[in-house]
Amino acid sequence: MARYGMALDYKNCINCKACEVACKEENGVELGAEKHRIWVGGNNPDGQWPLLDIASAAFMPSQCQHCEDAPCQEVCPTNATYYDENHVVRVDSDKCILCSYCMNACPYDARYVDDRTMTVDKCTFCSDTRLARGETTTACQNTCPTKVRTFGDLDDPNSEISELLRTRDHFSLKAHLGTNPKLFYLT
Amino acid sequence: MKIGPLNIPIKEDFSLKSILDFERTPINMLLAVSVLAMLAMLLLGVGNYLIHSHHAYNVTREHPWGLMIAVYIFFVVSSTGFCIVGSLGDVFGFKDFTMISKRAIFGSIVTIMAGFTVIAFEIGHPVTMLIYNVLTPGLTSAIWWMGTLYGLYLTFMIIEFYFLLNNDMKKAKIFGLTGLLVGLAAHSNLGSVFGFLNARTISQGVYYPTYFILTAFITGIFLSFIVMGFRYKLNFDDKTKKLLEGLAKIQGLLISILIFFMTWKLLTDMYGGMPNRAEVAHHIIHSTPFYAEVILAMIIPLLVILKDFGKSPVLMFWASLSGMVGIFFMRYNLVHDTQVKPLQMMKTNEYQLPPEWIEYFPSATEIMISLGGLGLCIALYYVGTKAFDLDESH
Ligand code: SF4
Ligand code: SF4
Repeated sequence: MARYGMALDYKNCINCKACEVACKEENGVELGAEKHRIWVGGNNPDGQWPLLDIASAAFMPSQCQHCEDAPCQEVCPTNATYYDENHVVRVDSDKCILCSYCMNACPYDARYVDDRTMTVDKCTFCSDTRLARGETTTACQNTCPTKVRTFGDLDDPNSEISELLRTRDHFSLKAHLGTNPKLFYLT
Repeated sequence: MKIGPLNIPIKEDFSLKSILDFERTPINMLLAVSVLAMLAMLLLGVGNYLIHSHHAYNVTREHPWGLMIAVYIFFVVSSTGFCIVGSLGDVFGFKDFTMISKRAIFGSIVTIMAGFTVIAFEIGHPVTMLIYNVLTPGLTSAIWWMGTLYGLYLTFMIIEFYFLLNNDMKKAKIFGLTGLLVGLAAHSNLGSVFGFLNARTISQGVYYPTYFILTAFITGIFLSFIVMGFRYKLNFDDKTKKLLEGLAKIQGLLISILIFFMTWKLLTDMYGGMPNRAEVAHHIIHSTPFYAEVILAMIIPLLVILKDFGKSPVLMFWASLSGMVGIFFMRYNLVHDTQVKPLQMMKTNEYQLPPEWIEYFPSATEIMISLGGLGLCIALYYVGTKAFDLDESH
């Protein structure tokens, strides 16, 4: 039983989007812009040309934060959304009634409708695919050329992610909402 | 009166013939044709949905709740409103209001049935819902409570109506009170579906769970004017006038309270310019549907009431029609405004152009099923007036 999380050294992201492709490929995510489990966000640099603040133009890879106190889980009327034994937030498509409440309650825009099952889908930390095969990395982590992502067990003090979180400053997105994300952005 | 199955008193002449038998005035004909057209749209819309499933709707990842959620809310608010008005007489014993009790309770049954019909085609898997609502109930979910309580409420309303038809006022009162309490609980849970959305600061908080009860009462009074207007063809006798005057006075008070509620809600939303919330509030007050809501549901009815303190029931009938259109916009705005602000996950490149506001316009299928719900509601009500004696029994 692990408590999986992910640390992102987001300043190393070069916006190659290999992770987006790897995720779709590995997990058989539907094609189409709206159907994405993970994404690389970006913002425009602040300031007016030529006085641009280059440092402000970061790329920010993101996805479901696997919140410890997940609003999507709390609002689900049939408990289709649940925490699995590794604290990964999952959707049981047999129980999902597609009320879309979780899509509205998730502060991170992490959920979408899978048209094949007509239920809600989201990042699973590759639980059904790579982890099920006994691998220890996620597809997005494995493919990243600049090693932005580190996936691992937060409860294991010797894991790489625990080490990173001990030694590097980090923040979470929308932390004020009390969702306790398990995605950590390293600064 | 003849006694139908299960001891239900049915009108003597109730038959297909009596249903088709109505005064052929132009207005009635127009209404009949419109209802038939709406029922046809329901079939067409549902057919389209069955073929294309949710692709037939314009809902998206960013705007997962669309018109049909708003219409569902519209119907269940109407039902709760009817139930409150119906309870004034037979539960709380206000003598002037007993003459509308049976009609209002019947109204509450048909409106919620129309609501359930619409939501059955909005929710992806209604049958799964029935199963897993029971097997693995999500007790922290406002939707679970709302759905479950509304189911119970419908049962109580049907039992209450049964006792009202049988003139068993004591039992009607017991089931009426229980139904009212369950209905109010269900309804404020519906408000909390929005109130619990911490991610959507514009809706989050105590406002909607309480405001829903207030607006339900207001909706119930508008609907009472409409059904009584049709019942008496706008020629009200003295007793009805007295009832309607009372309802109009209550309505004046309720609408004034609503205006207070809304003003302070919007002012607190804007005050201090809190990111997210304030921008959305500014966006709302610059949108046309917001004015439709304010003018049709609040200003017009309030002015009519203030004119002579509710002594013009005919004018109030028309103001109530305007009021119900306004109430529709109120529900639509609630649903749309909750989702209008993007969640700002920096998805500014290929997934979305940086949208300032999320756009949504219902698809033809959504519109057809929604209008179909209205058609169904009116048709059921009409058949009810032919089958049951909805006037006060003596
Ligand atoms: S990010 Fe969204 S989908 Fe993921 S656990 Fe948190 S609330 Fe749920
Ligand atoms: S859409 Fe499915 S997973 Fe989401 S809240 Fe509804 S039932 Fe639960």
